[in-house]
Amino acid sequence: MHPTHTIRCLAAAAVLVTAAASARAQDPDVSEETIQFFQLNCASCHTVGGGKLTGPDLKGVAERRERAWIATFVLDPRAVIDGGDPVAQELFRGANGVYMPSVPGLTRDRVEKLIDLLVVESAKERSRFVGLQLSDRALTEADVARGRRLFEGSQPLAGGAPACLSCHTTGAVPGLGGGRLGPDLSDVYARLEGRKPLAAWLAAPPSPTMQPVFKERPLDGEEVLALVAYLADTSAAGGAATPRAGLGFLFAGIGGVLASLVGLDFVWRRRFRAVRRPLVRGTRA
Amino acid sequence: MDVRSQIAMVFHLDKCIGCHTCSIACKNVWTDREGTEYMWWNNVETKPGTGYPTKWEDQNEYRGGWESDGSRLSLRSTGKARIVPNIFHNPSMPSMDDYYEPWTYDYKALFDSAEGDDQPVARPISMVTGKPLDIEAGPNWDDDLGGSPIYAANDPNLAALTPNQRLQLMSIERLVFFYLPRICNHCLNPACVAACPSGALYKRGEDGIVLVNQQVCRAWRACVAACPYKKTYYNWATGKSEKCILCFPRLETGQAPACFHSCVGRIRYLGNVLYDASMLPEIAHLRDEELVLAQRRMILDPHDPAVLEGARRNGIHDGIVDSAQRSPVYRFVKEFGLGLPPHVEYRTFPMLFYVPPLLPVMSSKENDVADNCTDDLFADIEKARVPIAYLGSLFGGGNEGVVRYALRKQWAVRLARRHLTVGDVTREAAARALAEADCSWEQADAIYRLTALAGMEERCVIPPFQREMAIEMMEDPHLHRSSVGFGFRAAPVRGV
Repeated sequence: MHPTHTIRCLAAAAVLVTAAASARAQDPDVSEETIQFFQLNCASCHTVGGGKLTGPDLKGVAERRERAWIATFVLDPRAVIDGGDPVAQELFRGANGVYMPSVPGLTRDRVEKLIDLLVVESAKERSRFVGLQLSDRALTEADVARGRRLFEGSQPLAGGAPACLSCHTTGAVPGLGGGRLGPDLSDVYARLEGRKPLAAWLAAPPSPTMQPVFKERPLDGEEVLALVAYLADTSAAGGAATPRAGLGFLFAGIGGVLASLVGLDFVWRRRFRAVRRPLVRGTRA
Repeated sequence: MDVRSQIAMVFHLDKCIGCHTCSIACKNVWTDREGTEYMWWNNVETKPGTGYPTKWEDQNEYRGGWESDGSRLSLRSTGKARIVPNIFHNPSMPSMDDYYEPWTYDYKALFDSAEGDDQPVARPISMVTGKPLDIEAGPNWDDDLGGSPIYAANDPNLAALTPNQRLQLMSIERLVFFYLPRICNHCLNPACVAACPSGALYKRGEDGIVLVNQQVCRAWRACVAACPYKKTYYNWATGKSEKCILCFPRLETGQAPACFHSCVGRIRYLGNVLYDASMLPEIAHLRDEELVLAQRRMILDPHDPAVLEGARRNGIHDGIVDSAQRSPVYRFVKEFGLGLPPHVEYRTFPMLFYVPPLLPVMSSKENDVADNCTDDLFADIEKARVPIAYLGSLFGGGNEGVVRYALRKQWAVRLARRHLTVGDVTREAAARALAEADCSWEQADAIYRLTALAGMEERCVIPPFQREMAIEMMEDPHLHRSSVGFGFRAAPVRGV
């Protein structure tokens, strides 16, 4: 091998090693997977330096609480809150009585990694988890109307995700109501305390049913705003979706089946015709 | 001219004694399997009567055959608007009750019953459910006018009669009936073939026999509905339709079909005819009354050099042409003008022809109603107990002229024979009758010979099928020989 060439190779290798080392120095022990995990499971309720959503802002949480306490709480929030821990009780009140859900697939090892991530992110001036930056513009009637169309599916979602109506309903949905798989969203705006937490939820729905669907087909910012406007509107109007719609659906189904049976019976009224028997009975001269 | 060969048949109704031997022969050879119990590929009906299945001639009930709007033939049974809403159940099809529920008898009870005061009996058991059955119908339930007020009175052909004639036909001492043996007509324009959505039915090019491919049949039963003669049947065990195959395995080995072979009255004649297929699209739209003669025009003279040239052009073998020249069917239908197709108005152009029966006569007639029996057995055919209109409806497509012609000629031949053998009819009277019937002494003799004296070889002139040549083209004949016979190479099974 030519000596000059060897030197050039070595130099290149040295540059690469240095670059890698500096990258690691920036984010010590934080893997891409952990960032992804936080984004999918935590970011809908928590920010880092972005203010309170449903859950508290986690900037500097590792300084406020002990690591062990955090780990225990996160692994089973309901047990800690119900166990009477004073800090947890206070947080619970702060969250308007919403229990923090236990996140599926969470292990103690992973919690440690998440805390490391929070330490790193808290140290930054502007964390990547500062939260969804939506426009603060006032929501208009046009937003409500567009939100209604998106909710009811008359206008498809840009990402290709299914319309909300397939699983959810609100008091404002006419006719037989919407889907019954997910909860009634009539007062979700009030329950999640307003625009920002709701928008954060919609931007990355973390529930086990919604997450796999919306992970690949996220809503865009304008859609989120429109839906927030719509849900704010239904919440202000008050009134949950009536359960009568479900019963009505049942009766409509039964009625429809009966009507179609009668109709089919009329259309095919000659199906049991016979030739010989009426001849013998003498009814057909 | 598009010359083709077709195996055709003539049944001489004047000779049929209604013994059902043909039906039994056919049953024993072909339809004694599970699923075919109710099928009678050959059946014998009493006319007037409703037949089997009940009222098969009533196409308002069964919607069989073709109808013409003047330029286009269409099946009465199908059409998208009819078939799509009825795709799972065609209401125009005969039900089991319209045929009959097949039964056997509990013969075992005769041997197994405990000793008692009464004779044990063999109760009838349904062959479908296996349970005891009250027999209400059978394939020849109205045999010999059994149940006339129901069955004979509802014969669809009686619509051609006046109410008076109808009434008189049913009264005692004026009752009359004749037999109508029926097999598949192997029509020139078969409705069953046209109706099959799977393409399972086909008309063999070399001899015109209509067959159902048991491997292709998908149980649509469109053929059952479409055949106006109700001569295709659905086998519930295999889920395939079946029909008369004209005993082609027998024909191919030079034997007459089983029903022809066993006929004790020797009423059945078989032979191939040459016909001009190119005429069919044109004559299919003629009026009902013109159809008998139009179909007769389609049948070509096998001695005409132009026809022979056309046959050669279409690759018809000299052996087949030779057999067409000796065909008794050609003589009855074309030369004598005696053979008439049944219900030609269904426009399937059946290739089974009937010589109409000369029936007992009446002595006098008032208001279209015959009054009394006669001593003169050779009175005018117009005085026959069965009104010509009835036979016209059955064999003439409403044209009474062709029936009258056939009856008058038979009557003239009888007079001529009477003159020759008994001598109580003068030669002048016989000659006058023959002249009026458009018949020469030579033709009278030919009709007499073919009707009364013809042996098996004359009655059934089976064309050479040349299977040996056809097979040689496809496979080694020795190999073929070991792989054929009666039965199925692959038994038909339900489903696709």
